[in-house]
Amino acid sequence: MFKNTLLVSLFALTLGGCVGLNTVSMTQVPAERENIISTNSSSWNFVGINFSNAFVDEAIEKLKSQCPTGKIEGVYTKHQTTGYVLVFKREVIVSAYCNEV
Amino acid sequence: MPIKLKSIFGLTFLFIGGCSQLHHVHIGEMDQSQGQLTPFTIKVNELGFDVAKAAEIGSEVAKSASTSEDLELVAFILAISNFGPKTGNPVYNDAYADQVLSEVIKVCPSKKITGLTSVREATNVGPVSGEVVRINGYCINSI
Repeated sequence: MFKNTLLVSLFALTLGGCVGLNTVSMTQVPAERENIISTNSSSWNFVGINFSNAFVDEAIEKLKSQCPTGKIEGVYTKHQTTGYVLVFKREVIVSAYCNEV
Repeated sequence: MPIKLKSIFGLTFLFIGGCSQLHHVHIGEMDQSQGQLTPFTIKVNELGFDVAKAAEIGSEVAKSASTSEDLELVAFILAISNFGPKTGNPVYNDAYADQVLSEVIKVCPSKKITGLTSVREATNVGPVSGEVVRINGYCINSI
């Protein structure tokens, strides 16, 4: 009986989704769309216990460094949480266009 | 499990559970072509209170079993009466984020602002939370 329960639980685990899409946002898309830049930053936690959201600022710094003298436009931001067993990964994924003036 | 040990476990999880929460992020456009950028941060904060969670904590620490059961029922009633879509704990002031715009406008002497990032986050300690709206951005120091 225990073996069956374990098997059913494991099967049920494979059916369950593991990604939660928290937020999505987008800014005006420019006409010039040749130079795509993208970055992401993440933070891992155990059973949802977090002590900081500083990984968001990390994504901004990474994006900034990819376009040091231009304009970052058409910014697409995705904030998602992926659940592994008892461990969660919070992630900010950003893509944009870097246009030199 | 003895009731005291159960209370300690319960309370520990209630207090450390989700200490810092990130609800929403929006990264805006950034112009690094017009000069040096100076970063700024505007943060507004409001006290959030989850009364159902407070009743739940009360039921965990109650000395008698009957009080504990009564408080559990109170927590359940409060939880279902506040059931529905929400971001973070409820607050007592619905306009606490409105000052953000005027603060952002004031912050740059050059009046040129770029790279605005809006973050909605919260810091939780048991039933109490700090419901935060944070705006990061850059002032363009014209050449």
